[in-house]
Formats: sequence, C-alpha cells, structure tokens
Amino acid sequence: MIQFSSFQEFIEMGGYAFNVWSVYALFTVFLVANLLLPMRRRKQLLRELKRRRIAAEQMQKNTEESARLERAASSLGEST
Amino acid sequence: MVETAAQTSTAQAFLATLKRDLLIAYKRKNDMVNPFMFFLIVATLFPIGISPEPERLSEIAAGVLWISALLASLLAMDNLYRADYEDGSLEQLLLSPHPLYFMVLAKNIAHWLVSGLPVVLVSPLIAYMLSLPEGSFGVLFLTLLLGTPVLSLLGSIGVALTVGLGSRGLILAMITLPMCVPVLIAGTLAVEQTQNGASLMGFLAIEAAMLLAALTLAPLASAAALRISVN
Amino acid sequence: MWTWFHRLGSPKWFYEISGRWLPWLTAAMLLFLAVGVVWALLFVPQDYQQGLTNRIMYVHVPVASISLAFFPMMAVAGTVSLVWKMKLADMVVKVAAPLGAWFTALALASGSIWGIDTWGTWWVWDGRLTSLLLQFFLLIGMISLRSALEDGDAAAKACALFSIVGSINVVVIKYSVDWWNTLHQPATNFTADPSQPNGPEIWVPLLLMVIAVYLFFIISVILSTRNEILYRERRAQWVEELVSQS
Repeated sequence: MIQFSSFQEFIEMGGYAFNVWSVYALFTVFLVANLLLPMRRRKQLLRELKRRRIAAEQMQKNTEESARLERAASSLGEST
Repeated sequence: MVETAAQTSTAQAFLATLKRDLLIAYKRKNDMVNPFMFFLIVATLFPIGISPEPERLSEIAAGVLWISALLASLLAMDNLYRADYEDGSLEQLLLSPHPLYFMVLAKNIAHWLVSGLPVVLVSPLIAYMLSLPEGSFGVLFLTLLLGTPVLSLLGSIGVALTVGLGSRGLILAMITLPMCVPVLIAGTLAVEQTQNGASLMGFLAIEAAMLLAALTLAPLASAAALRISVN
Repeated sequence: MWTWFHRLGSPKWFYEISGRWLPWLTAAMLLFLAVGVVWALLFVPQDYQQGLTNRIMYVHVPVASISLAFFPMMAVAGTVSLVWKMKLADMVVKVAAPLGAWFTALALASGSIWGIDTWGTWWVWDGRLTSLLLQFFLLIGMISLRSALEDGDAAAKACALFSIVGSINVVVIKYSVDWWNTLHQPATNFTADPSQPNGPEIWVPLLLMVIAVYLFFIISVILSTRNEILYRERRAQWVEELVSQS
C-alpha cells in the first residue's frame, strides 16, 4: 500500500520533510562519493603510472642514444 | 644499565630500570615539576572560565580535577620514551635478554611515580579550592590513586607507537585521549554517585579491575609497539 | 586450505578475482538499494509515535550497524597482517580506516537528524551517539598515525597493533559510556530503538537496506583495495602490462 495520496504529500513527509529528505540526501552523497572517489583515484593512478613508465622508457632511450653517440665520437677520435 | 645479562635476574633488571628512571627524573627536575604545575594551571582556568560561584564549582569539581589530571598525564607522556629513544638506550633495552614486558612496566611505574603521584597528592588541595563537597574528598583521592596509573599505562601505548615521529604531539593526543574515556567516566561517576548515597566499594572494584587489566595488557601492547617503532 | 590462504594473500590474485566480482556485486547492490529505498519511502506504514520520521531508520540502522563492525574487522585484518605478514590484510586495514570514518560520520549525522523530533535537539549525550563519536575520533587518529608513519612496513605493523588495541578499547568505551549515560538519565527518551520492529512490512525493507549497505561496504573496500594494490605493486610485471594496456 502506498502511504501517500498525492506527490505533494510525499514531498511533505507528514511535516518531517526536512529530517527525512536531508538524511536521504546525505545518504546519496555518501554513496556517490564513496564510489566516485576510488574510481577517480584509480584513473589518476593509472595515468600517473603510465606517465612514469613512458618517462622511464624515454630515459632509457636517452642513455642508449648518448652511449651510442659517445662510442661514435670516440671511434671518430681514434681514426684521426 | 651496566650489569651483564648473565648475572642479572629479571627482578634485578626491573629494579635497575626503575631506579635509573627515577634517578634521571630526579636529576632533571623540570620533568617532574612541569606536569604538576600544568595540572595546577589547568585546574585554575576552569573557575575563571566557567564561574567562581562555589555552588557551580562544587558540581564540576570532580570532572575538572579528572580532566586536568588526564591532560597533565598526556603532557608528561612524551618524556616516557623520547630521551631514551634519542640517546639509544631504548634500543639497548629492547636488546636485553629480559622480557620487555617487565622493563616497560618498570618505566611506566617510574613515570607514574614522577608525574602521576604528585598530581594525586595535591588533588585534595585543588578539590578544596573548587569547593568539592566535604564527603567526596576521600572518594576522589582514591579514584585518582587507582585511575592515574591506568592513564600512564594507556598513554604509554600511544607514545610507544609514535616515538619515532617528528610531529607526534597531536597524534598522541588523538589516539590516547579517547582511550582514556572509560577511566574518566569511572572516576567522575564514583564521586557523583557516592554523593547520592551509592556505595563506594562497587566503584573502587571497577577502578581496580581497570587497573589490573591495564597492568597486564597495556605493557604487552607498549612492548610490541616499541619493537615496531625502534627499527 | 593453506594454498587457498596463500592465494588470498596474493594481491594479483585478489585483483583479478575482485575485478570479476565487481559487476555482479554492483548489480546486486543497486537492485537491493532501489527496492529498499522505494519500499522504505513509499510503502512503509507510519510509526504511531514517530510518524514518517521512521523512514530515517532505513538509512541510519544499516549504516550504524556497519560502523560498529569496523574496529573488530580491522582488528582481525590487523592480526592477520601481524602474524602472517599478509600484504592484502594490511591494505584492508589501511582502506578501512577512512571508510569507517565516513560510515561513522553518516551514522552520527543521520542519528542526530532523527533525534531532532524525538529528543527536541540536534545532539544529546546519548550513550550510543557518544560512543560512536569517540570511535570516530579513534578512526581519525588511526588515519593520521598511518599518514605520519611514511615507512610502509612500520606503518603496517603500528596500525595493525593500534587496530587491535583500539577494538578492545572501543568495547570498553561502549560499555562505560552506556553505564555513564543510563546513570545520568533513565532511558525513557530513547525508545527510538528500532531493533524491535513490529511486523514484516517494517523489517523486510530494513533487511533489504541492510543487505544493500553491506554490499556497498564490500564494494567500496574492494575498490580502494584495488587502488592500493596497483600502487604498491606498481613495479610488478603484471601491473606494468595492465598500465600499458589502459
């Protein structure tokens, strides 16, 4: 049995509109926040880890490149 | 402690630790006087902040004394392991072959003798200044005597957990003050209820039970916490 | 049995299995939540004393009951992490503390809003509210202890120990606060106790909400634990593969 005869009555909650709706609003905020915050953190974390990975690869490439250049320079020096 | 482990029994090591801590406290008089003075000052702030009227003061006197004792014990807590941690003697204590439980217990007892007992001894004077009803002096004194060691023992766990931290004051307060609530409740209720004619023995039994539980369990937790923090 | 135990301790295994569970758990939670909320708001008959404020019960009771379970749960996880050095258990101790603070805060807020009419004020020093408030302080202390002890291993052990000490203490606090309060004022004003529901039309929606909130609790622990796993295992092969795929 629905306890309310009109939508207006449902919103008024028998004079307890503030109490009931504020609790349900807090509950909604709580549910949404505790699902969204970990999900956002996950996205940030994945982005951060990816960035680090790319940076590490780049660094490795750079060191390889400079080692190659050095080798080239030293062989050039020997030949002259 | 210079004795070698082979020659000392646990009881001797216990007494040596106790004596050493008392001697250090005696040499550094500030550590002894400061908690005591802090207690007096906090207790003085309440009449100034709330009301100088004897009727209102007599209602809150027991609570004021208990809260001041609690804060004083918290303030003194930092001395418990800090200096030993910094000069390395705490590490030696952990390496000693004796059960750490007894060493921690000795340190806690020494600490209570230095910072808790003076507060208990001076409490009747403050109670008089706060116009506590005549009949409650004994109750308050006894509950403080049984309750303040529990505060030291509980606080010791918090200090042991935070001894290695740089900024530990607030964290220490946040983890130990809520834990001390049962002691506070038992102490103030005892004063209030005996004024209304309740029997003192029940409250003393509860306080004694808390003290015994804290004596057996709290040093174990402190010892474990010290092993975690000093590494 | 032990192989199962060790597998459970493996973060990688947990990450994979929880990833498969999450959609089902979420679907089940949404179902229970939707039915429970609609039933509670629309169909539950008025309470003869409290009128329609009894709708608050359907949020407050599930949330409060879980908040009381946090310290025991952390103590169990803390013991496992201390005794078996299980990484996963420490992660649960870590993520449970902030979540517990959320749950406790909501239980406090909904309790005090419910109390406006029953008690006439926002806040009374009722035994239950007071012990929840103290538990909230302990949880905040635990979070700040964790963040102050940066070192992973020491933080894990210290927080595990504190969760055990804290859970013993929460029980003592609960009893002593009840004792304090009942001696101060007889419990006449606090008959709001909803643990004696009168009929199925009252308690079935409550049961649905309790299940929904428990599922929500499990889901949020899993979500935060997965993040923690990703962070702590960031140098492991499988995380690197996962990251490059994302």
